[in-house]
Amino acid sequence: MMSQSSTLAQPPATRGVRVAHFLRNYYIYFVLVAVVALLSVANLDKFDLFERGNFLNEKSIINILRVSAPLLTLAGAFTLLMVSGYIDLSVGSTMSLSAVIYALLAINGVPFLAAFAITMVAGAGLGAFNGFLVVRLKITPVIATLITLSLFKGMALLLVQDGVSAIKSGGGQKMPGWFNSYGREGTLLNLPMAFWVAVAVTLVLVIAQNRTLLGKYAAATGGNPTAAKLSGINTGKIVILLYVIVGVSAALAGIARSSFMSLGDPLSGDGMELTAILVVLLGGTAFSGGEGRVLRSFVGALIIMALTVGMLTVVPAYYQTLVLGAVLLAAAASNHLISRKETAS
Amino acid sequence: MTDQSQSPVLSVEALTKDYPGVRAVDDVSFSIESSTVHCLVGENGAGKSTLIKMLTGALQPTSGRMKVRGSAYEPGNPHDAREGGIATLFQELHVVDELTVLENLTLGMERSRFGFLVKSDLDDRVVQTLAAIEPSIDPSARVSSLSVAQKQIIEIARAASSGASVIIMDEPTAALSEREVARLFGVIRRLRETDVTVVYISHKLDEIFELGDAVTVLRDGKHIVTKPLSDVAGRSELIEMMIGRNVFQDYTPRTAVTNEAVLIARGLTNKLLKDVSFEINRGEIVGFYGLVGAGKTEIARALFGADKVSGSILFKGQKVGNSPKEAIAAGIALVPEERRTQGLFTSLTIRENIPVMNLKRLSNRGVFRSSVELEAADEYVGKLNIATSSIDKYAEKLSGGNQQKIVLAKCLFADADLLLLDEPTRGVDVGAKAEIYDIIRSMADEGNSVAVFSSELEEVLGICDRIFLLFDGSLETEVINGPDVDAAHILNVVTGGRGGAVQ
Amino acid sequence: MSDSTKIGRTLLHTRRRMSDESFITLLVASVAVGLFLFASILVPNFFQLQNMLNLVTNNWAVISLGVGVTFLLVSGNFDLSVGGIVALSGVLAVWFSQSAGGGSALSTGLGFPYWLAVIGALGGALAIGALNALFVVRFRIPSIIVTLGTMMLARGFAQVITQGSQRNTNLPDVFGMLGNLTVFGASVKLPVVLMVILLVIAVFIEKKTVFGRLTYWIGANAVAARLSGIDKDRHVTYLYLFSSAIAGIVGILLASEFKSGYSNRGTLMEFDALVIALLGGVAIAGGFGSVVGMFFGALILAVVTSAATGLVLSPDWQYILKAIAVFVAILTQTWALARRNR
Repeated sequence: MMSQSSTLAQPPATRGVRVAHFLRNYYIYFVLVAVVALLSVANLDKFDLFERGNFLNEKSIINILRVSAPLLTLAGAFTLLMVSGYIDLSVGSTMSLSAVIYALLAINGVPFLAAFAITMVAGAGLGAFNGFLVVRLKITPVIATLITLSLFKGMALLLVQDGVSAIKSGGGQKMPGWFNSYGREGTLLNLPMAFWVAVAVTLVLVIAQNRTLLGKYAAATGGNPTAAKLSGINTGKIVILLYVIVGVSAALAGIARSSFMSLGDPLSGDGMELTAILVVLLGGTAFSGGEGRVLRSFVGALIIMALTVGMLTVVPAYYQTLVLGAVLLAAAASNHLISRKETAS
Repeated sequence: MTDQSQSPVLSVEALTKDYPGVRAVDDVSFSIESSTVHCLVGENGAGKSTLIKMLTGALQPTSGRMKVRGSAYEPGNPHDAREGGIATLFQELHVVDELTVLENLTLGMERSRFGFLVKSDLDDRVVQTLAAIEPSIDPSARVSSLSVAQKQIIEIARAASSGASVIIMDEPTAALSEREVARLFGVIRRLRETDVTVVYISHKLDEIFELGDAVTVLRDGKHIVTKPLSDVAGRSELIEMMIGRNVFQDYTPRTAVTNEAVLIARGLTNKLLKDVSFEINRGEIVGFYGLVGAGKTEIARALFGADKVSGSILFKGQKVGNSPKEAIAAGIALVPEERRTQGLFTSLTIRENIPVMNLKRLSNRGVFRSSVELEAADEYVGKLNIATSSIDKYAEKLSGGNQQKIVLAKCLFADADLLLLDEPTRGVDVGAKAEIYDIIRSMADEGNSVAVFSSELEEVLGICDRIFLLFDGSLETEVINGPDVDAAHILNVVTGGRGGAVQ
Repeated sequence: MSDSTKIGRTLLHTRRRMSDESFITLLVASVAVGLFLFASILVPNFFQLQNMLNLVTNNWAVISLGVGVTFLLVSGNFDLSVGGIVALSGVLAVWFSQSAGGGSALSTGLGFPYWLAVIGALGGALAIGALNALFVVRFRIPSIIVTLGTMMLARGFAQVITQGSQRNTNLPDVFGMLGNLTVFGASVKLPVVLMVILLVIAVFIEKKTVFGRLTYWIGANAVAARLSGIDKDRHVTYLYLFSSAIAGIVGILLASEFKSGYSNRGTLMEFDALVIALLGGVAIAGGFGSVVGMFFGALILAVVTSAATGLVLSPDWQYILKAIAVFVAILTQTWALARRNR
């Protein structure tokens, strides 16, 4: 049966398309290696996060992974949402609000697991509200999540008393001992729980992307919404679910950060939406939807954290915004060139 | 296989669809036998697309019945139709580029447990279906790496494996190369062997003779005949049935035509066009007639500079073809094919739409002359008889005919010497159609030139002085219009019968 | 056609209906006035001329930025870089003006004469605008991504030049002039006057010039605009340069007013400029909206936030009020337009 139509051989994808696709899939790993290599030859003496003069050692790596936990937690869910063609600019505020809620619960004597669970449920609710605005009220995602960016941030600020900048020990109240250990204290491989939760979230989402209906339908919704609807897929439901997942991930990120800093800071997530966009674009996620991988964004997050932390040892902190802005533009441009190549068949 | 094939798989009875002022499908009854390739032919405007839209659930019939395997079939939307076993291969492809072939084939039909995709016989079944109709496509390939033709086959395979018993294909070869057409035909033949019925709509008569088992001819919304293709004597008989006896001739030779060439195009070539050369004279209305995908729009856009092609275009001795801006400055205006997306600013008012192509006339050192705009709006609303209560009405709110008149008004305001009209009366009611033809004629009578790019024979025969016939990207020949013009010859050329009738 | 029918027809067709845009602007204006009156009842001492003036004068910077942002939104593009440009141009103006050879790095500048420093700062702002245009127009990357990137880039340069804090020493006296100059006695500052002039010019451009009309055509249907002979790329480039020039001037004036170049100045101003445009009925899909609407949108926001302050609500409330205002505005406008055009 195979031979009878061998004359109708499939015209192979052109070389340009294959190269473009290879680049999209694997370039991020080369970038990671390059960044690590760069940092390991740089002079790292100035910064006490690292062992003197060396980047590739246990203390340095543990330090970087510890501060990376929030971003690593968020990157995967943010990717899946972008794959479906939607965006959430409120992730930073969701993170801040969750951090404040978590800290409030903790300081008022709620035990660890209960505080953890309540905060996650709150995150899910915030995500669902975004989904409601976008899917049911049909407000453009950018505007809807800009509204909630402001709303959630205001709520976080209001939860913290006037005259105090964050929820923290003091004035008769004291953070419980466990509060700090989740984000800081070494467990397995001397890395804190928060990091392992980030890894677990990423694993779950990698599986979700590759093995579940959700992952496939997210790609279909972002790639060709008409085709998805014609195939009987309830795209609205998928999108709401994805917003909920982003909300939960942002809540976990907020918990990680507040635990790391030992306080519930209502501004702790500020600018996270920018970093998240940066990370997923770096991971080759298409802004127009359809294309993107959870694992690549995880690596993208590692690169950004290695870069920002590592950079501190080479240049002063005030170079960060400039470098990240340049990376964002470069990632957007290269992404764009790659997708142009991919479709130019 | 079973005796199911004895009864028709799909039948329509006294099916009628009315639009305001037009009966698009008029009391049509016929039936389609199972496991056949059933071709549907007819001139543009014969009612084919309306009929198809009713079959796929995109439109509801005014009256009449449709039946699938003898039981009533009333689809409310395309998804209903698919559930009912009738799938359609739309011109616009509904595949997800970012997924693999296999993922596309199973989209929406997956087996899952707690949301997890589970391996099932479904995967094997769709892979088998795909292998049966086109073994050369790798199920694990990403769809974005496939050609348009292969994507089409993916859609066909998906329809077949979703249990569709009828697949409707509307001009599926319009965007395909010759080799790809051959491959598609192979797919269709193998489909037929697997007990799937194909309703095949095409203007290319050779394809119909090569592929079809039976043919249904529609004309002016009415059913003319349904019979096995083996009983059709040849192209000429089919063409005769499509045209009928009533030759729609209201063309009268015009006096304003000159021999002075205003536009000379030489060797226009791109992906589709093959070395197309022609001249357009002052005062003349020329037609470019051909099927969907023959290259009409490509020529129009090339002359206007909207797409770059190789070759040369001289307009009044000046090189054009680099940008629409340049073309307009030189005196060329285009009424584009897609009125709503390419011609009109639907969210703006009539008044704001009309002046866009002539900013010079509208500006006094950069300052907008709103009096000119108002006068122009009033003038053209009056002149072109645009039915509206106010010039401040949104273009979106108008009927197709009135919208098209606004696009025409834009071009007239531009004071163009050469007007390019791409499908100027598509989706326009009969009354407005006649008015648009009058505008075209008077424009040419004033010494301007008009080029009409159309897939309606009646249209080009009605108004054009000279007609260029296109097939598959090349300009086959030209015909001087007149009382004894041979409509059958024209149809024969544009349907691919280059050197005369093909039996 | 006889004269009488011609006249009749003319009358028929010029019978003009208020455009949707004027309708929305009127709606926004009445909401602004209504909110002001409502706040006057609730808040003691709210209903005062000085307070009304303050609503405008305190917001001159954001309203000025809103002009450029509105034009770009109407053409179908975002500009989120304006806040960053405000910081950059202010910092540049200071750095260029500071005399060379100060005591420390942050007090040492290039020692340019003030006029040259201003031109240089404006050049920096225009460079960011040009970068926006390059990425949006040439590389066809979504404008929201591009301008987020250039926002970081502009602010990043400002931070590098100020080493993450500010420069405010070693400045010539003339530096503080522009931003603190007052006119009409001592009641109105120069930047406010400039804002008014900018608004007048912007309304003129929008309503009365071909340039303004081109913006609407491009935003309403970019494909049809191209096929109608409009050079969209060039026009959008101009708009980005226009917007960045406004932001540059705002940055220079703010730097002058505070006699400092502060790298965090203008933070979130890009969002406020976007918010007032949305409140004013500008559609992010393009082709719809007006500068006057944006101005009244700014008033709504100003009334809401200052009433909140007057009610002794904690300043933290402003974020929630902003969110609710935009949410309500968007839903009301969609609803009102749908009803009107039913």
